[in-house]
Amino acid sequence: MEKEKPKLNLAVYWGAACGGCCVSVLDVHEKLFDVVANANLVFWPIALDTKYSDVEAMPDGFIDVTLYNGAIRNSENEHIAKLLRQKTKVMVAYGSCAHLGGIPGLANFHTGKEIFERVYVSSESTVNKEKIYPQTSYKIPEGELTLPEFYNDVRTLGQVVDVDYYLPGCPPQTERLLEVFMAIVKKEELPPNGSVIGATDKGQCDECPRKRSDNKKIKQFKRPVEVIDDGETCFLEQGLICMGPATRCGCGYRCIEGNSPCRGCYGPPPGSPDPGSKMMSAIGTMVGSDDPEEIAKIVEQIEDPAGTFYRFSLPAAILRRKLIETTVS
Amino acid sequence: MEEIRIGVYICWCGSNIAQLIDVKFIAGEIKKLENVIISRDYKYMCSDPGQETLIADIKQNKLNRIVVAACSPRIHEPTFRKALEKAGLNPYMFQMANIREQDSWVHIDKEYATLKAVALVKAAVSRVKHHEPLNKKSVEVNSATMVIGGGITGLTSALEIAQAGKQVYLIEKSDSLGGITAKIDLTYPDLKSAGQMIRPKISQVQNHNLIEVFLNTILEDISGYVGNFSTKVRRNGTSEEITFGNIIVATGLKPFSPVTIPEYKYKVLPDVITSIELEKMLQDGTVKTSDGSKPDNIAIIHCVGSRNEQYHPYCSRTCCSTALKYANQLRSLLPDAHLFDIYADMRAYGKGCEEFYTNTSNKNIMFLMYDQKNGLPEIRKANSSDNAGMIITFSEKLSGENIEVPVDLVILMTAVEAHEDAKEVARLTGISLCGNDFYIEKHPKLDPVATTTDGVYIAGTCQGPKGIDESIVQAKAAAAKVLSMIAMGSIEIEVAVSHVNEEVCCGCQTCIMVCPYKAISFDEEKNVSVVNEALCKGCGTCGSTCPTGAIKSLHFTDIQILSQIEGLLKTESETI
Amino acid sequence: MTFEPTIVSFLCNWCSYTGADLAGTSRIPYSPNLRTIRIMCSGRIEPTFVMKAFREGADGVLMCGCHPGDCHYHEGNYKCLRRYHLLQKYIVQMGIEKERMRLEWISASEGKQFAALADEFTETIKKLGPSKIKKVMETLT
Repeated sequence: MEKEKPKLNLAVYWGAACGGCCVSVLDVHEKLFDVVANANLVFWPIALDTKYSDVEAMPDGFIDVTLYNGAIRNSENEHIAKLLRQKTKVMVAYGSCAHLGGIPGLANFHTGKEIFERVYVSSESTVNKEKIYPQTSYKIPEGELTLPEFYNDVRTLGQVVDVDYYLPGCPPQTERLLEVFMAIVKKEELPPNGSVIGATDKGQCDECPRKRSDNKKIKQFKRPVEVIDDGETCFLEQGLICMGPATRCGCGYRCIEGNSPCRGCYGPPPGSPDPGSKMMSAIGTMVGSDDPEEIAKIVEQIEDPAGTFYRFSLPAAILRRKLIETTVS
Repeated sequence: MEEIRIGVYICWCGSNIAQLIDVKFIAGEIKKLENVIISRDYKYMCSDPGQETLIADIKQNKLNRIVVAACSPRIHEPTFRKALEKAGLNPYMFQMANIREQDSWVHIDKEYATLKAVALVKAAVSRVKHHEPLNKKSVEVNSATMVIGGGITGLTSALEIAQAGKQVYLIEKSDSLGGITAKIDLTYPDLKSAGQMIRPKISQVQNHNLIEVFLNTILEDISGYVGNFSTKVRRNGTSEEITFGNIIVATGLKPFSPVTIPEYKYKVLPDVITSIELEKMLQDGTVKTSDGSKPDNIAIIHCVGSRNEQYHPYCSRTCCSTALKYANQLRSLLPDAHLFDIYADMRAYGKGCEEFYTNTSNKNIMFLMYDQKNGLPEIRKANSSDNAGMIITFSEKLSGENIEVPVDLVILMTAVEAHEDAKEVARLTGISLCGNDFYIEKHPKLDPVATTTDGVYIAGTCQGPKGIDESIVQAKAAAAKVLSMIAMGSIEIEVAVSHVNEEVCCGCQTCIMVCPYKAISFDEEKNVSVVNEALCKGCGTCGSTCPTGAIKSLHFTDIQILSQIEGLLKTESETI
Repeated sequence: MTFEPTIVSFLCNWCSYTGADLAGTSRIPYSPNLRTIRIMCSGRIEPTFVMKAFREGADGVLMCGCHPGDCHYHEGNYKCLRRYHLLQKYIVQMGIEKERMRLEWISASEGKQFAALADEFTETIKKLGPSKIKKVMETLT
């Protein structure tokens, strides 16, 4: 019998996330056996019953690799991120939310207070006449009940702890995860700390099978439902906003192959000083008019520029949240 | 990585800067910054001793970045870049902070002006840290020249260059050479034959073996850059390509059509004619009214469409002296006729022209003045009882009276204006227009025939209304500029161009669409954009358009500008 | 103490920067709140720069280019204009008053107009009061 190799200790955790990233880990299917053959899963709340106290009990650096998915939305996300950082050798920000804030990051258009008000009071399906909000601590005869503190801002994992690698995507392409994992297992030379892995440096157009030209003058911005897509022409040239040229390759152009413009979940190629501004600049430049009034009209057709260009990355942007009076203490 | 060692110099510019801005305070503040090895103030940085200090500091202290806070970089950036080169440093490892034109000369409060200067210098220091060496590039100059326009200006330029032994392509859109000069009878103030002046020039041009004349020819496209232009010209339905190193634009101007001025009834009353129509009569030797009779009363009206906000705000410059020329010619042809010269202001500028006015006023001409503010003279058809064909009414300024002048023939001294295709020629050649569609020179005084596009010169009336003498001065000046360029043999081209990072570029081709110089092409094989550095002028528009962040606008990179912004807004020194 | 705003201005080399220099050579005084960054063409100005300026504490951002039709590089100013409209919509979404950002055309001969613009824009920003962007972006809660 072959002598058993020492196994890696692997942890998977979710912060402010939808669960898709954890599911994507399961999407390795039968390859999971390869993973398990090489790794002990020491912590994975969605699949294993390991307690936080078990993690706290681990020696520092006990975990070889943590895949942290989800953004930092509340004090629990932050606490566990810091705890795992302490216990982990290689911290991977796994998926768009940990990488750039992701969809939960869009909450930065509001304050924590506004969100609570909407969720616990004003939403149509809620009856809460007394306006009772979740409390971080509540005393009952048996003792004290606590809940994590809900923050005003959503942050990326990298804004809270040092991250060794970023593996982007909503969710990341599972094959990329396996490649990265196997590289760690085989102790291959890893890229420098802070690198984005599981993605290339090029934009989506590099792989995109659609036909492109330099004719990107847009007279009318359209939503996908407003276009009869010919299945062949560059989305931008059909007036659809496609984040492709401002988004790294690595996903296998899954959305594009499904005839949907790229939404940008893999984040910008390296060197972009801001995740959305370059695409905003490009789209602005594509507006097909020199007349101020017509330009304004065409631009009006872009319903939600901030949400479009920062769909997955608002907390990582230069302007990482909406300016709201109450956020200044 | 090499350690960053910055030298910062705050110039007093005598008292120009130092009297408002506390230069010593700035030097002290800047000294505190990371990577700043030397921070000095000096009376005149641009002086020889100033530059020598800088050069010595670079050598002694191994400085690799320099910031000079002084006047506008538009003035002395080249000076200091040369100093860096002398010291063995790449000239692009330099940044200027403009604390004179945009600070000490425009502000009053010493404290604010000084704080602003500190911010500007900090910004320059932050920026210069990210500067990268750029290497000079030069290209050979094609010794052929394209002259656009076959009027007196274009002919003169073409001859000057050809006589120096260099090839000229002369492009003319009409079917003949000579332009407006060929359409006039005499010149002023000497009253010599314009034809006798222009005809020999035309035949010299036509017979010169180094001048190829293209008549009835339209420019389809111009590509390339200084030293290496090419164009497609189309004549008689066929297109051919020519290549050349420099362009002289001498497209001239055209007379304004006064049909839009209701008071003058041009094209309504047959005996209201324009100056150019009179020239034709004078060339033919007879001046007649529309019914063929000899006019007894003739009026010349000045400023027709000139100096009037409704038509053209500018002075057309040649019309006053031309009107005096007509007065002389008409007086000779029709000794008994009554001649009225109705002017707004008599602007007989130029050598010999004031004397010409004095002489003309002794020839029994009635000079009457009108004031454009009180409305234009109005021409109407006379009644049968009147002893003339038409009546002009206006308020005479000197007498203050409303007067009526009976006339048989009216000559309108029409304004001159840019050709309709001036914009198209500007687009093709890459030069700019001023508000009145005349071309803008690089500098109105110091560089009057160059344009902001290297290798493209303007001469003659396409730059603005002027006489034949002035046009010829410009024609020769432009030819001299071209010849000196040819003599240099090669020229340095812009090095702060755009650069595509092929590792990142994904081939979306957005940049190709925005480049005004067609400097970017698409490499199908590599699936990336490629910049032709010789064509790129460094505007940076592709850099700000590239959605992928693959294009770097050299010397204006993202990191350089973002660092400059950071430096500008560092607020450690709130007060002095 | 009265509020003295900090305004970052991006001026194109050929027209507006030269116009600003002309205000200097003509000694036309204007408010000292403007701090200029020279770029070759307004077509180089990208939203990133404006965001960065606000993020670092600018109370206002002014962009100037050549007048339409006069761009030294033919039409960089139009590219700037198009982006400006989109950027304006974005900054409003981000809760920033749109008056804090301006795009104007200044020619090389318009020193006087530049000085007047600087004064007028400074007044506008004074009325808006200090920008809270920097503080908000730095406050993580």
